[in-house]
This record gives sequence, structure tokens and C-alpha cells, in this order.
Amino acid sequence: MSVKVEASHGGIPHGKIAAAGIIIALVSLYIAVIGHEVLGFDYFAFFGGIAAIGALIWGNSAIKRLCSYGIGAGVPSAGMLAFGSGLFGMFLGIAIGAMTSVWIIPVAVLVIALITGVILGWIANTVLNMKIPVMIQSLAELAAVGALTTLGLRTVAIGGLELEAGFVFVAVGFIAVAFMLGAIALQHPFNACLGPGETQDRTNMLVIECGFLSMIIMAVISFVAVSAVAGWISLIIAIIGWAVSYKKYIALSKRDAAAWLDAKPFVDAEEE
Amino acid sequence: MSAIAAKAGADAGAFQPVPSIIALVLAIIVIAVGFVLGVGQTLCLIVLGAALIAFGVHFVPVGGAPAAMGQAPGIATGVPMLAAGAGLAGLFGGAWAAELGLAVALAGGAIGGALMMAITCLMVNMSYVFGMGIPPASGKIEKDPLTGYTQPEFKSQGTEGHGLPFISYVGGVIGGLLGGLGGTLIYLELLAFYEAVMPAADAVGLAGILAVAMFLVIAVLAAYNITGTIEGPHDPKFKRFPRAIIAAILASALCGILALLLMVLA
Repeated sequence: MSVKVEASHGGIPHGKIAAAGIIIALVSLYIAVIGHEVLGFDYFAFFGGIAAIGALIWGNSAIKRLCSYGIGAGVPSAGMLAFGSGLFGMFLGIAIGAMTSVWIIPVAVLVIALITGVILGWIANTVLNMKIPVMIQSLAELAAVGALTTLGLRTVAIGGLELEAGFVFVAVGFIAVAFMLGAIALQHPFNACLGPGETQDRTNMLVIECGFLSMIIMAVISFVAVSAVAGWISLIIAIIGWAVSYKKYIALSKRDAAAWLDAKPFVDAEEE
Repeated sequence: MSAIAAKAGADAGAFQPVPSIIALVLAIIVIAVGFVLGVGQTLCLIVLGAALIAFGVHFVPVGGAPAAMGQAPGIATGVPMLAAGAGLAGLFGGAWAAELGLAVALAGGAIGGALMMAITCLMVNMSYVFGMGIPPASGKIEKDPLTGYTQPEFKSQGTEGHGLPFISYVGGVIGGLLGGLGGTLIYLELLAFYEAVMPAADAVGLAGILAVAMFLVIAVLAAYNITGTIEGPHDPKFKRFPRAIIAAILASALCGILALLLMVLA
């Protein structure tokens, strides 16, 4: 069960992508906190979406590393496990932030999710006898990715990281939307791109595209909770980001494809 | 890892006594902490619900990609998707009946999950038999233990069987029943706990999403235990379920204490 099949030779090593992902996620979340706490407006809500995308790039690299061992349950299972386990860290981190200070929420979420993931990875590797060398590290990383992505999408929707502002997010059920949008954005890119011709930059571009696509939905939802200006800023940035990354993804797909046929609809035949 | 080591790993069915005992001890410690914090009973019922889910997942006939090509029996998707589908259908059914008392809600959840799996199995068999033109046949057993129908004559050469034999169908329904029951139990326990400290709407949302999250964690761990495909309760892989239950006990104790700490802290 543990034959390693190398996905995408070369490319940036996992450690560097993980570090970049964590830094993007944490810095973006703190910019959102600064906007909400220091400057007193919620126009920086869109940085939550940037944080989610940073975390998703990290998570995609972790999924690629884990699934190169053949876990037998499919790539989507890793995305589901990531978000299922990350959610507990996210809620507990926010609760801890409510007791102390909003500034520790991103770090608290990251640490609690990492601990949850380590224990789940230990269970999978020893009790369930999976014996995959990167299992513990990967599940820890995936739990952290799930927690940070949900936190980022939540920030887009409600403008800040506080517990009080977040009740609408849970009570109305936006959390379920964020959960599935994040999980699909995490599991889809590698599931779609995997195979012998997988290249790292193309997969990462698909991650960014999926991240912005999720952010569009959260930006639309955010009009309920944030000011109209902040909602429009998030929505426009998400749409521009999605359009640019989609175009780039198509260009990279054309580059990697053996042949490309731009199929045309049969309009001419119909008219004749 | 070399291919030889991988072959040894393929014998993943062995029970692991030492890690299992460590896991159970850890789970007992977590539950004891729960009792110290005054949430022990809720936590115990959450763990029970998770164990039911982990057991139920093993009944569900999962075929994966080979089943989609008619080369293996089962429903043509992965374990987490099927378990999530059945369990969440049950969870919604139970949540809908939450006001009518524990027994009715649990029954609603169990029947919701079972109904979802029954419909899925029926439609899967319809598309196999009438769409792909293949008879249901198991590759793992000579005779169906419930109907007594013989299987090998109907099995195509080069396949591991195909379609959903009756025993797999029954397994799917039992799996949905147990999954729905466990998911609903977790949801109701979390709901009762949160309703005591916050407005009802918030409690429903929080309990719902955390029950879903816990369900997915347990279902994926059970899927890792199965490693790919399973035909149902007659499959040799079914005997692996004790490991998944132990894994579910520790994982749900951990997730449960985190979910309950939310309100103990606040």
C-alpha cells in the first residue's frame, strides 16, 4: 500500500511551498486583523481570501505528497479529513481568542489544528497500520490547512476574526458553505491534474483559481455581514483574481497538452 | 519504499495490539478529563456514536473506479463519499426530528441513512443490470449467505465480480442505518450541550457543522482502514472493523473534547 509514486519531478520542494503558504496565510490574516482592530474598518476582509489561497497552496502540496503513496481511499478523502479535523481547531482557536485577545486567533488556530492532525496521523499510521512515512506530518499539515482556509473564508464573509461577529456565520449556515467550498478547492486541483504529465505550476495555478472561485461565493455571502464597500472590494478582487488565474491555467494547460483542439459548436452546419 | 515492503504492507489486515492499547488508554484519559470538566456523559455518547459510524462504514459496499467499469462489485465511488452521503442524510433526518425526543430522532436518523443507502443501492443495481447489462455477482463468496444463490457462474472472467449481490445490498442498508444512528447521536448530544449556553439558532448551526466534521473524520479513518474497496459484511476485509472502532474511539474523544471545550472555556 505504500509504494511511492513520484508526482511532478523537480519543481519547488514541499518545505518551501509550505513555508510560503503559512507566511501568506498568517500575514494576510493579521492584515485583516489590523484593518478591523487598529484602523476600524472591514475593507480588508478580502485578505481572508488571500489567506485561504495561501493555505490551499500549502495544502495542495501536502496532499500531493501524501497521495503519492496511494492511500487507497482517493484524493477527496484527504480534503474531507483536512476540513473535518481543522474545524475543531478553528472554533477552539476563536473561543480562546475571545477570552484573551483577537491577535492570537491565527496562531492559536494553527497550533491546535496541528496538534489534532498529529494525533489523527498517529492513529492512521499505527492503529490502522497504514505505515506511510509522511502520514503524521501530512495529516497535521492538512488539518492546519483546513482550519486556516475556513478561518480565511470566514474572514471574507464577516470582515473580522472575532467570536461575536461570527455568530451570524454559524447560525445562518455560512459555515457549511465555507466548509464545502474550501474542501473542494483543496481536493480538486490535484485530483484533476494528477497523472504522468502533472506539472507543479499548472496544479498550483488551478489551486489559485479554485481559491478565488470559492472567494467569489464568500464575497457574495459577505454582503449580509460586512459594509457594502467591503463586500464590493472582496467581490471585485475575487472576480479579477479568478479571471486572471483561469486564463493563466488555460495557457498552462495548452502548454502541457500534447495537442489542443478548440472545438467549435455546430452552428455552421445548422444554418446550411 | 521498495515493492517488497509494499507487499508486506498489503497485509494491512493485522490487528495492532500495542498501538490499540495505547490508543484506548489515551481515549480513557481524554474521557476522564471530560468527566473532570463535567462533560463526561456527553463525551461518552459522542464516542459511542463515532464507534457506530466506524462499524457502519464497513458494511457499505464500496467499489471505487473498478466498479464503475463493471470489474468489481459495489457502488462506484469512494468510501468517504458514500459514508458521508448515507450518514449526512441520516443526520439531517434525525436533526429534523430533534424536537420530538431522543428516541424518535435517533430512529429518524437511522431510517434516513438506511433509506438513502437503499435507494442508492437499488438505482446502482438498476444501472448495472439494465444499463451495463451485467448480472450482480460476488467474487469473494461461492453462495450468497442470505439467499443461497450461487455466484461464480455469473461472474465474468477476469473480473472480481460485478453489480450488487443481495448481501451487499443488505450490507449497504445496515451501514446506512448504523451511520445515520451514530451521526444523529453525535448531533443530538452536541445540540443539547450547546443549547444550554447559547441561542437556539447558533446551537443548531454549531452542533450541525461539528457533527458533520466529526462524521467525516471518522468515515475517512474507517476508509483508510478498508484501504479502497469492500463488498460488504461477507468480505474478508470486514474483519478489520475492530481497528477502525478503536481509531474512532480515540479520534472522536479528541474531537469531542475540543468541541465541548469551546463552551467550557467560554
